[in-house]
Amino acid sequence: MIEVLILLGSFLVLCMLGMPVAYTLGLAAIIGSLWIDVPLEAVMIQISSGVNSFSLLAIPFFVLAGAIMAEGGMAVRLVNLARIFVGAIRGGLSVVNVIASTFFSGVSGSSVADTASIGSVLIPQMVKQGYPKVFATNVTICGSVQAVLIPPSHNAVLYSLAAGGTISVAQLFLAGVLPGLLFGACVIGLCLILSYRRGYPKGEPVTLRQAGQIAVDALWGLVTVVIILGGILSGVFTPTESAAVACLYAFLVTMFIYRDYRWAELPMLLHRVTKMVAMVMMLIGFSAAFGYMMALMQVPAKATQFFVTVASNKYELLMMINILLIALGTFMDMAPMILICTPILLPVVMKFGIDPVHFGMILLVNSGIGLITPPVGPTLFVGCAIGKVTMEEVSRELWPFYAAMCMALLIVTYVPAVSLWLPHLLTK
Amino acid sequence: MRAAYALAMERLYLACIVVSASALVAITLVIPYGVFMRYAMNSASSWPEPFSVLAMVLFSFVGGAAAYRAGVHICVQMLTNAVAPAARVWMARLADLAMTATALFMLFYGAQLVRVTWNQTIAEFPTLSVGLTYLPIPLGGLFTLLFIIERLWLGAPPSTSIMYRDQPLAE
Repeated sequence: MIEVLILLGSFLVLCMLGMPVAYTLGLAAIIGSLWIDVPLEAVMIQISSGVNSFSLLAIPFFVLAGAIMAEGGMAVRLVNLARIFVGAIRGGLSVVNVIASTFFSGVSGSSVADTASIGSVLIPQMVKQGYPKVFATNVTICGSVQAVLIPPSHNAVLYSLAAGGTISVAQLFLAGVLPGLLFGACVIGLCLILSYRRGYPKGEPVTLRQAGQIAVDALWGLVTVVIILGGILSGVFTPTESAAVACLYAFLVTMFIYRDYRWAELPMLLHRVTKMVAMVMMLIGFSAAFGYMMALMQVPAKATQFFVTVASNKYELLMMINILLIALGTFMDMAPMILICTPILLPVVMKFGIDPVHFGMILLVNSGIGLITPPVGPTLFVGCAIGKVTMEEVSRELWPFYAAMCMALLIVTYVPAVSLWLPHLLTK
Repeated sequence: MRAAYALAMERLYLACIVVSASALVAITLVIPYGVFMRYAMNSASSWPEPFSVLAMVLFSFVGGAAAYRAGVHICVQMLTNAVAPAARVWMARLADLAMTATALFMLFYGAQLVRVTWNQTIAEFPTLSVGLTYLPIPLGGLFTLLFIIERLWLGAPPSTSIMYRDQPLAE
């Protein structure tokens, strides 16, 4: 037991010092290996093998494709597309915001990218129409959480890898569709209630002719979803190949069809994406070593033993796990949370007969909510910066949104069919 | 001496970004090429996959060092933000010390791994050594160490650094 305390304790202490989480995982693994006399070369091999996987390559491609789409004018087109479906209802622009996020999630797979792209287009428009800044920001950040569920979510790829590559990425992508839409529906429901109560403005109707033009314009971008999902489900591409082809496609559409991105911007975009993806890859590499040490110290087995003692059935277990994940999500970022919690909690939930794909969705919804909870919430930070509001102002009015999101979380947790129906239907 | 070291670190950072970004672009082109060869030319190539994996290892560790200098790694700042400024300075120093230890471990034990595996060859590329697959670990450790020294000796890079020249151009 002492070795587990050394491993987890050193990780926590180093994290609290403000050391980068990726290196914290690496140093904690090194300290753990010194304690139980594992050769350090073995730790180095684990660090390297953590990033030495072909399926992992899907992550940089999805990030790159998302960045190209986000900055290349896709967001404006998807916002226009969302207007077609909303019409002149009260609070229409807030609903447009959430639906545009749903569409954009299908091309970006990143909540932060969604907030940055959709927020920079829609928050100023919402404010101009008379919505309070804080409400516009809250709708944007909460709507963007759909991106962690709706395919191609690179966090789903991360979960698959953290589970040892035993869970199909295609199944996870399919499993994310309904929980993602449910999440969006809950936020839309809340937007409509608040809009009627507070008298927010009505949306603008779109004529049939305009709708046709808008749909054609947005179609090029939406083909990315077809390439990714169609390619994987038909067996034409592996997830990594579909991501690479989608990346190339996104580049060609942005530079040669939409033509609203300058060639001079590309080196900067590549610079940003390189830094961001390298950070995630280091996290994955070091967490592989940390996971290896946890396995050597039998941490997953000990965690299973603990939960078997305290939870009498899977419903209690899931409630405990939800509370634990929500609490962790308030101060941990999504990627480290997935990489650290999956190897510990997956054996526990499997012992209780919970489907690993279903658990993946629960984990993603929880960590998605964590993206917008203070004190550590990357999407919250980006949303505040774009909406030009303080975190305190936003947090004060986020409570109804948290309630709507928790409702979605409970449905995803206790109705497994929401996650499992589509993968069972399409991958039999 | 200080100015020369700062300039050297700017160049090293640029080199890290150029190498990593080139690796990323190469993989982005190589994988669709593999798909094209398999379906359009009906002649599957075996090298795009292992090449991409090798390039990704290089990308991760060299790019990871650059990401450290640019300060984009995720950190938990809940406690550091809550304590008094003097305590914050001490915590930052301890974190730097821990980072130095990690970089040194990567450098020495990564190099040891490269040395041990240098005479083995990669199955898909018989002319290449297995040691090359591990080489990015000590390289990443070395570059991170140099960036830590810069941070401790010269402080955070100035706002004119190339690190910050990655924002979208103004209209």
